Amino acid sequence: MDTLNQLGVKWPELIGQTINFAIVLFVLWKLAYKPIFNMLDARREKIAAGVANADKIKVQLAQTEADRQKVLAEAGELANKIIADARAAAARVAEVETQKAIAAAEQIIAKAREASAQERAATLVELKREVGRLVVQTTLTVTGKVLSPEDQRRLAEETQRTIA
Amino acid sequence: MKITKQVLRETRQLFRSCFVNDLLDQNRVRQVVALLVEKKPRGYAAILTRLHRLVKLELARRSVRVENAVETAPDQVAAIQAGLERVYGAGLTYSYWINPALVGGLRIQVGSDLYDGSVKTRLEKLEQSF
Repeated sequence: MDTLNQLGVKWPELIGQTINFAIVLFVLWKLAYKPIFNMLDARREKIAAGVANADKIKVQLAQTEADRQKVLAEAGELANKIIADARAAAARVAEVETQKAIAAAEQIIAKAREASAQERAATLVELKREVGRLVVQTTLTVTGKVLSPEDQRRLAEETQRTIA
Repeated sequence: MKITKQVLRETRQLFRSCFVNDLLDQNRVRQVVALLVEKKPRGYAAILTRLHRLVKLELARRSVRVENAVETAPDQVAAIQAGLERVYGAGLTYSYWINPALVGGLRIQVGSDLYDGSVKTRLEKLEQSF
């Protein structure tokens, strides 16, 4: 006690200040700290809920991404299959069309060859006929001039011999 | 004018009666025609028409047309006639023609038979062979 007195601490003042401090503390607790703590708790809960939501969203996002990747993979496989089928069908069609084109080309070539051969044969026949006509015409012209009376007689006798 | 079977038969008989030694005798033909005109039997017009046709065919069958590019020499004429009479018998009627278009050789037509040794025909055959 003496020590406290020596240090300047007086009990009535100390008790009064303590009571004052208690009153201030009580008022502050009631009017300031408590609402602040409530607000902080609410905020903390809100943040926790937000974090939980974020985690949930993150999980859902991951799930969605996984689903998307899966769908994309399936779509890719399906697309590849369709492309492969289309390529195979296109190859078959191309092969068939190529064969048809080859057959048509061969037919055209054969017809062209046949037409050419016919035309050549016709030209040859025409040429031979023309040559024959010229030969005969020339021979007729020349023979009439060169046949002597003896030749005429010999020719007449040849005809006579056929009568028998 | 209707030509019945009877007309044909009678015409054939009359036509045969006009032959002497397998040769058509013109006097017989004249006699037959005169007789028909005088007697006028049934269907005589048809018989005359038919007889005319038969006589015409017989004359054509016995006629000879000789074509030569130049004038035919007398010895050749004799040779031709001898050759033809060997094949067709006597009684042929000859006609001789000059046809320069033949160029050379003879063309002899006896009825429907043809002997063509002309240069023109030979050249035509040659032309056809081309």
